[in-house]
Amino acid sequence: MQIIIKNLFKLFRLWRVYARMDLLLMTRDLKSIVLWYISDGLLNIASITGVLLLAERFSGIGSWSKYHVLFMLGYASLIDGLLSLFFGYNVSCISRRIGRGQLDHTLVQPQPLWLSLLTEGFSPFYASSVLLPGILLIWWSCFSLHLHPSAGWCLTLLTNMSASVVLAISFQFFWGSLAFWAPRSAEEISSSTLQLLEQLKAFPLDGLNPILVGSLLTVLPVGFLGWIPARSLLGMDNSIWSAVFTPFAAVLMTLLSILFFRKGLRRYARTGSARYSNFGHRG
Amino acid sequence: MPVQVRHDTQISDIAVSLKCVSKQYQQRQRSGSAKDILRNLMHPEYRRIDALMELSMQINRSEIVAFAGPNGAGKSTTIKLLSGIIAPDAGDIRSLGVDPFKERVHYVGKIGVVFGQRTELWNDLPVAASFEWKKVVWDIPDERYRLVLKQVKELLDLDEFFQSPARELSLGQRMRADLALALLHEPELLLLDEPTLGLDVLAKKKILSFIKQLNRDRGITVMITSHDMSELEQLAGRIVLIDHGKLAFDGDFLQLRKSLTEKRIVFVETTENAPPDLPEAILIESIGNRHQFSYDSSKIALPELLEKISHQSEILDIETHRPAIDDVISEIYDRWRGTPLM
Repeated sequence: MQIIIKNLFKLFRLWRVYARMDLLLMTRDLKSIVLWYISDGLLNIASITGVLLLAERFSGIGSWSKYHVLFMLGYASLIDGLLSLFFGYNVSCISRRIGRGQLDHTLVQPQPLWLSLLTEGFSPFYASSVLLPGILLIWWSCFSLHLHPSAGWCLTLLTNMSASVVLAISFQFFWGSLAFWAPRSAEEISSSTLQLLEQLKAFPLDGLNPILVGSLLTVLPVGFLGWIPARSLLGMDNSIWSAVFTPFAAVLMTLLSILFFRKGLRRYARTGSARYSNFGHRG
Repeated sequence: MPVQVRHDTQISDIAVSLKCVSKQYQQRQRSGSAKDILRNLMHPEYRRIDALMELSMQINRSEIVAFAGPNGAGKSTTIKLLSGIIAPDAGDIRSLGVDPFKERVHYVGKIGVVFGQRTELWNDLPVAASFEWKKVVWDIPDERYRLVLKQVKELLDLDEFFQSPARELSLGQRMRADLALALLHEPELLLLDEPTLGLDVLAKKKILSFIKQLNRDRGITVMITSHDMSELEQLAGRIVLIDHGKLAFDGDFLQLRKSLTEKRIVFVETTENAPPDLPEAILIESIGNRHQFSYDSSKIALPELLEKISHQSEILDIETHRPAIDDVISEIYDRWRGTPLM
């Protein structure tokens, strides 16, 4: 118990120091900040514009109204933002760190590996350009749908969002662990899987072939990063279980990724890494 | 620098102990010919590389040990094993009283590691930010942090670039900052893997004298690898040589020279421009009337050699010395590889 409390305190201390470092990085000079926010803002708008225009043109997609789609886009953007907030700086792209031999840096730190991985990517300022549009979209859609969020609804939203983030990062670690076995070939696998999640999570999956839907909820579980939680939160799925689908999937994915990652770590202890990128993992 | 008393450390004279430690890697083998492509895919061939073969050695507390060997001898593997990053396949490792791999979290808080070709600094941030980061990650108390930071800043002249982004530092500055960072938590054992790689003479000198001072003042145990033998000789009292994962020599530099080579160098200045004909020696260079020979002192003594020269020409001046440690080591490596010696 004492160790848990100690680690918890350290978690917050580490988040604070990484937040300060993130701020330092963001504020290198005024020109960089302005350009960063403009370019990242444009990228985020571009990533959701396609679905938004389709919804606008056809007054919704299937059974989803324009504002339902907007809510789902907001939810998906928020997951993106939270992923960047907690797992930036190549933590979500773990295969890069493994493949480049940069895990050695983390292993010489006197703290459990999970604590390092849970804190090193904390970047509230860097992620704010993704978080803010997501919050705005959710607020706008809730306002347009005349939703009056209750405490229970807010709790369900928070639980589902946490579960979606956990599921996404677990998915990243699951595939990223391949780099333990193929450091060079699988070095960029995490960036590819992250791209897949980012591109596909903003589409409503209603009306698709059941096999395809099944695949998008298992092999590539993008359905849990927008579609399933949005259906539950917008009352489009009245099953009492709909609110716990995503947390349940997150638990399963987490167990699977822990199993796979630990297996990879055991291999790393045997083989180490013969390869190292001389610019380090700090860049 | 005052020595910090650590109550959680088992007091023993031995800082590092390796007993019959073995480590193997596998390397994929491919012929490169088109007909073997499919066969290699279906039945890949591997070559076993014995990075360490039953290596046993001990390092006492407060000792500086130079750890050397040709490329691929197993130096970096040993440093990684002692850093707790990888585990041995067989054998027993105890460092500062614990198993580095099994008790990694506790152990790495008591060691400092510097990899010459890597940096622990955060590239895009001022050097100061990396020190602040280290303070939190290593749980360094405020008072100790301020004290040690002040000391390392003075000793390694960090002030001039402490606020600059790490990315913009010169190699020498970066290494000084990395070394200071490794010392911030006052480690008991410092593992340095080629810390002077690529540095100029001045930067090397600064780093080496700092390590010496650190060992003298704080009694810190240092294990250093480098390919620059003269630099290791300046720094360490003891040299451990490994080759193909096996211990090849363990002793001091003088012993190393004596036990492994009797080669001597003699410069002779004669009245004649033509070099004297000496079957027992090898002519290395002849510039004007100054001739440089190498000879094996176990086969011919210097007075005898000089007498032979004096029969052929009048000697104006002589100068003898032992070969540089780098030459001794390269000769040893050549012997190990079976390359014919000069």
